[in-house]
Amino acid sequence: MDSLIKEFKTAYAGQLGNDLARTLTPDIPNNAAQMMSVWESGNSQSIKDDLKFLFVRDKSARLSMSSDEAAGWQEIYYSYWKALGEILAVEGLRKSRVKTSWTSVYEAWKELTSQIIRGYTNHEFENWTIPCLYVAGKYMRLYAMRADAERGNNGDDTVTNFQDDFDPETEKHKSLEDCARQLNRIFNLCLSDRAPLGESRKWGIYYAINLLFKTYFKLNSAALSKNVLKVLSAGRGDMPDFESFPKSQQVTFKYYEGVLAFLEENYAEAEKNLTLAWLLCHKSATRNKELILTYLIPCHLLTTHTLPSAKLLAPFPRLQALFLKLATAIKKGDLRGFHQALQEGEDEFVKRRIYLTLERGRDIALRNLLRKVFIAGGFMEGAEGGAQVRRTRIPVTEFAAAIRMSSGQDIDTDEVECLLANMIYKNLMKGYIAHERGFVVLSKNGAFPGTGV
Amino acid sequence: MSWASATPPGTQPGYTSYAHAATAYTPVPVRQGFGQPYTLQPQYAAYATPTNPPPAPAAAPAEPQQQQKIDWPDKVRSYVQRSFEPKNMLPDVSREEMEAKLKETISHAKDAGIMYTTEWDNMPLPQMLVRTHRAAQLEAQRAAQMMTSAWSNPAMATAPTEPARANTNHHNSKKRKSNDLSENDPSTGTPWRSNKKLSLLDRISQPPSLDSKSLKQAEKAENRKQRFNNAEYKTYRSPSPPPSTGPILGTCTNLEKSYLRLTAAPKPSLVRPEHILHQTLDLLKKKWRKENNYNYICDQFKSLRQDLTVQRIKNEFTVSVYEIHARIALEKGDLGEYNQCQTQLRALYASGIKGNAVEFKAYRILYFIHTANRTALNDAIADLTTADKEERAIKHALEVRSALALGNYHRFFQLYLDVPNMGAYLMDMFVKRERLAALANMCKAYKPDFKLRFITEELAFESDAEAAQFIIDHNGQHLLVEREDSIIFMAGNAKQLFETARADAHRRVDLKGQI
Repeated sequence: MDSLIKEFKTAYAGQLGNDLARTLTPDIPNNAAQMMSVWESGNSQSIKDDLKFLFVRDKSARLSMSSDEAAGWQEIYYSYWKALGEILAVEGLRKSRVKTSWTSVYEAWKELTSQIIRGYTNHEFENWTIPCLYVAGKYMRLYAMRADAERGNNGDDTVTNFQDDFDPETEKHKSLEDCARQLNRIFNLCLSDRAPLGESRKWGIYYAINLLFKTYFKLNSAALSKNVLKVLSAGRGDMPDFESFPKSQQVTFKYYEGVLAFLEENYAEAEKNLTLAWLLCHKSATRNKELILTYLIPCHLLTTHTLPSAKLLAPFPRLQALFLKLATAIKKGDLRGFHQALQEGEDEFVKRRIYLTLERGRDIALRNLLRKVFIAGGFMEGAEGGAQVRRTRIPVTEFAAAIRMSSGQDIDTDEVECLLANMIYKNLMKGYIAHERGFVVLSKNGAFPGTGV
Repeated sequence: MSWASATPPGTQPGYTSYAHAATAYTPVPVRQGFGQPYTLQPQYAAYATPTNPPPAPAAAPAEPQQQQKIDWPDKVRSYVQRSFEPKNMLPDVSREEMEAKLKETISHAKDAGIMYTTEWDNMPLPQMLVRTHRAAQLEAQRAAQMMTSAWSNPAMATAPTEPARANTNHHNSKKRKSNDLSENDPSTGTPWRSNKKLSLLDRISQPPSLDSKSLKQAEKAENRKQRFNNAEYKTYRSPSPPPSTGPILGTCTNLEKSYLRLTAAPKPSLVRPEHILHQTLDLLKKKWRKENNYNYICDQFKSLRQDLTVQRIKNEFTVSVYEIHARIALEKGDLGEYNQCQTQLRALYASGIKGNAVEFKAYRILYFIHTANRTALNDAIADLTTADKEERAIKHALEVRSALALGNYHRFFQLYLDVPNMGAYLMDMFVKRERLAALANMCKAYKPDFKLRFITEELAFESDAEAAQFIIDHNGQHLLVEREDSIIFMAGNAKQLFETARADAHRRVDLKGQI
């Protein structure tokens, strides 16, 4: 405990927010021994007095902080010490007489988070200390998920409610839902600070938002993120410039903003945000780039009808597996290949929520196929000896034959007409169908817009 | 109706099963445990007592018989043992006195039906009871004297309560008969209530008269003591137990019950246990077939579901309740209720309970097509296993989805003509919308015209007349032209008309009952 508070004092004296936050980071995998020694250096009877001594009476290294603020930090380190005890117990690093669980870790950590929030509302904490809020939020979310998973395994559900039906989602995510509420407190704590920007907690807002987004996505209620965006855009005037926030926070935020638009089928907006995230993303953050591309590629397919190049996908074997086959099939107008690729990747696509979007790629594959038929139709003598023009009257049966070959399935001409009507309706093909006479009349100039013919 | 078939109160089977049940549910509060397998007595007693006072004595003869059979709970045995332990003997209480008190205490507990629920471990020993009883009498006498010397009311009222905390039930058995007949019947929920009412009356309308004799005062003090004892039980059995007590066990035996939204924890007496709910379901099925009254059925099913939920019953019976309600709601186009049922069913199937999972997974897909909820649709697909995707109903639903996603109306209307199970009810809900979409599509792509028959076939109308009516309903009468022997649809002129109609129809998705 002594060494921990010493670190705290050094960080505090230098106003080093990140160093300060490190003293509250339960990094068990890397620092188990150190955590252990912190825990063992205290006991439940004397810890409060010890802390008081270290903060107030220890004249050798007294800090220039008000006694009020010192009281706030004491509470925080007391809660941290207790939470550490729970964590070490549940990780099996210390023996505990009472039964331990991630739920009690979560509760202990939540208490710590509350103490930190209180530090800002009641104990005059300054804004350079906000990294402490970050660690609190970050670990709270992790512990909530573990608590839910653990409860799920035990089949322990003691929720009582007065609803007519039980709510399966709530029962599964009890801790995480609670966590979302706590994160919302942090969000509001940052949002509502009216201090001048230089000393405002508003600088913590994107970190809080990103944590909230992650939580809402996990809770399968991504739509709640929309509320956050609304609040944010309402208060944007008093906010520091988005560009002056750390890039890491910008990337994450833009990514989620893009994915949200993507899920709402607002592909133009999605593309804008995802592209920004892509450009800002650190060049060695492969995993993040991969995530961004997962949504940016289907976006591009729909908005610009373009496909990723092999060069773009080269560094991402996972994306290659996801998209390469599909892209090749679309390019070649290979309906059967497209169907197979979609089916093979279905589970993965559905998991990432891009299945329904990718499916629409079939239109592009079909367009490419029909375009081939058109080109194969060759040229006709132009009227009055003019330049040669492409044959624009194409029997429906020719298209039907192409579709049959490409898809490997039998299909009647009515259905072929229906598919052609769709192409025309979606502006992928210009022309009209003359049903009674059984052929398609394509436009002389630009029968397939954007493809050069 | 419900109690006609049950065993009358006081007969052997009733008591034995009671003993059983009580041991099975030790932590359950008194009357719930009693009432559960023996459900019909409360009703019976409630009906019988007002008209016919003698039932209490009538029930008494059955008791001696039962006494032989009774299997004294271990806690009672150890209580008796403790009473006789020399170290617990009190010098001022004789053994005879103690034994008499012990007998009284236990037999009272047995008669009152609280033998299995009384906390014998915390129960004061009989010698202590004798002592407190004496003290109480002394106190009461003193209080009466003080009364006469003009002491204020509240002081007197509170004084005897302290010693009264000890549980002394015995001497009241006689008094209670005179006071309150129903008090002898442990299974009704009412005795403490009527008693409480009495006590209120006591306090408000009967200020202790100054001229009453001290003996009478003592008697009153006894009464009061008894009330406080009962009050202890009252809180134990209070209608709103702390929420941590877990699922309740219903004791209601009415088959039918109107739905009422809960705002607090339910009373067990208003909740039907599972075996009653089974009968309820059978009754509802019969009624639905015979009367086809949806409002009634929906109301009944909602209360049925509520009873299942508050008792946390999650098994195949639960699944079948939700399935049947979902089907009825579908048939009547009540999508709100349907969606509630389907949400529950999804969770129930996911927890491994058997039912018609395939049928309802298919409905679920169709439902989300109707509400155009992409996120939920994605989830519904994510729920499917490889084996699911081979099932006819699910395959059909997935094909419907894919046909619509690709604008393949030709395929869509073929699928519409051949829907497994009750999926057609769901498809009916969005078929109009999709017809407009298809027409908008066709009007843009086809020139100059085609026969009406083509629409009839492509959009799965039953006849040309129906197709024509559909077009006329959307202000397209001018698009229909008679030529030679057939009606021609002037597709080339109708682009804007149906595009607008389509956009309208797609905007108005009824989201009732959406999560």
